[in-house]
Amino acid sequence: MIVADRKPLEEILDMIKECNKILLVGCKGCVTVCNVGGAKEVGILAASLKIARKKDGNPIEIDEKTLERQCDPEYVEQIRDIFDQYDAVLSMACGVGPQFLSEAYPSQTFYPALDTKFFGGAVQHGIWEERCAGCGTCVIHHYDGLCPIARCSKSLQHGPCGGSADGKCEIAKDVECIWDKIVKKKMEQGRLEDLRTIRAPKDWQTARDGGPRKSIREELVQ
Amino acid sequence: MSNNGLKSGSNLEKVLRAGHFAFTGECGPPKGANVEHLKEKYEHLRGMVDAVNVTDNQTAVVRMSSAAASALMAADGIEPNFQMVCRDRNRLAMMADVLGVYSLGVRNMLCLSGDHQKFGNHPQAKNVYDIDSMQLIAMVKKMRDEGKFLNEEEIDEPPKMFIGAAANPFADPYEFRVYRLANKIDAGADFIQTQCIYNMPRFRDFMKKAVDMGLTERTYILAGVTPMKSARMAQYMAKMVPGMDVPEELIERLKGAGKGKQSEEGIKFAIEQIEEFKEMEGIAGVHLMAIEWEHKVPEIAERANVLPRPQID
Amino acid sequence: MNDSFEPQILAYCCKYCAYAAADLAGSMRLNYPSNVKVIQVPCTGRVDILHLLTAFEGGADGVYVAG
Repeated sequence: MIVADRKPLEEILDMIKECNKILLVGCKGCVTVCNVGGAKEVGILAASLKIARKKDGNPIEIDEKTLERQCDPEYVEQIRDIFDQYDAVLSMACGVGPQFLSEAYPSQTFYPALDTKFFGGAVQHGIWEERCAGCGTCVIHHYDGLCPIARCSKSLQHGPCGGSADGKCEIAKDVECIWDKIVKKKMEQGRLEDLRTIRAPKDWQTARDGGPRKSIREELVQ
Repeated sequence: MSNNGLKSGSNLEKVLRAGHFAFTGECGPPKGANVEHLKEKYEHLRGMVDAVNVTDNQTAVVRMSSAAASALMAADGIEPNFQMVCRDRNRLAMMADVLGVYSLGVRNMLCLSGDHQKFGNHPQAKNVYDIDSMQLIAMVKKMRDEGKFLNEEEIDEPPKMFIGAAANPFADPYEFRVYRLANKIDAGADFIQTQCIYNMPRFRDFMKKAVDMGLTERTYILAGVTPMKSARMAQYMAKMVPGMDVPEELIERLKGAGKGKQSEEGIKFAIEQIEEFKEMEGIAGVHLMAIEWEHKVPEIAERANVLPRPQID
Repeated sequence: MNDSFEPQILAYCCKYCAYAAADLAGSMRLNYPSNVKVIQVPCTGRVDILHLLTAFEGGADGVYVAG
């Protein structure tokens, strides 16, 4: 899923400082699963903003709405009747949400309440980790299901670099060296020879480096 | 280009080819455009070493480019070993710089991944890592031997570089290190310069493995030596530098030398190391990284009996 | 804050213990300050961060969870 963090309250307060009435829109997709932008978090953020503004002597009115998803035009339509009743709309979806909203409602102003971070999953309750860089050409089978593109700080295709120590990356002691894991897994399986291959430089055209991307499935296009 | 079968015709290559024990030095470009400062540093190395490594934004701290500093040195009659890291440039910039420095007289280069920018003075920077050090080695080899860019287009006057790579026998996982070295040789590394060595038993073991795998027949390995200035420096390196193995005995030995004598003890240890490397199977030379201690290089070279440096035409 | 400040406290009390205790205190004719408002909850496990925030938003100066 897409994993995001909520922006600091101060930053959100600053974004909406000129507004007296806003709509706070959550999303029941990824950000609900990673506990940052679902109905519950919408309620918490709305209450927090209202308390902060009330304390400042400048109360704000906030209506809450959580859409099925903010990345589908049909669900984005769900605020068609109300969107213009507000000074601004604050989206608690990933970066896709406020964009789909602003494309659907060009006359309204949309603000992001979240910082979208990565494609990943929960490794334990409350901790999410990056797993995929969305490079557009999956190569994890070369590395026994461990992606060095997303998980090595240098995206090395031939690691580990000289900074790998005790299974940790040189950048920080709390960052695992994925290459240490890859090598150890290969050794355990007696397949170290797999890592004796020199791979061609990666073709980054399928990644963001090739420009904004699009996926077209002809059979579905009407 | 036959060039007596030489790949680049660099002085370092000639020295190694002739079977001499090579001795290389290192010089970090200044944090500014101060050419005098650069000169002051490399003048200490003139005549003392076969080539001088020119670091490339070492530890991710911005300095005068290694390309420019290498060219300045080449023009001043000192042979540079141009270092290039994968952190700051994509393949276009890398190939362009290889051509650029070659046209300015640079004949050796060392291909590195580079320290992550998080260590440096611009941690906000985007990290590039378009290709990694293995692919950089292969790319420079392709440019030299096939006369082609990565995209297979012909190069008008290919750059004939003597290609170096780094090896760190002390990083983890240890068992894999010799295989990674083998990969670098397969990719095209003509010579290897190792990370600073302090743990001699481990390095002996590493070299034995490399010799057993036949790697030393296919490349020249220069052992990395950095003299310790003090017990504090040793402690710092042991704790703070990832992939650095500084045994407790060495720290104790430096401490035991007493105040004011620790740097001499550090140099003594370095000289003992160099003496051992001269005899060690598979070692073709020493790479002396006297960090901010360039003026000590003549003394160390003298005491390690590596002078005068061979002159080969 | 002056001396006359009287905080408004909202207390979420578990039906089976804290609320029952408050009830018993009432039947023993013990007093508790009038600026504490008690809300019975089936279990304090039910109390959510939103309950706490809503209390503050509504003007509470402090929230008390007892169970």
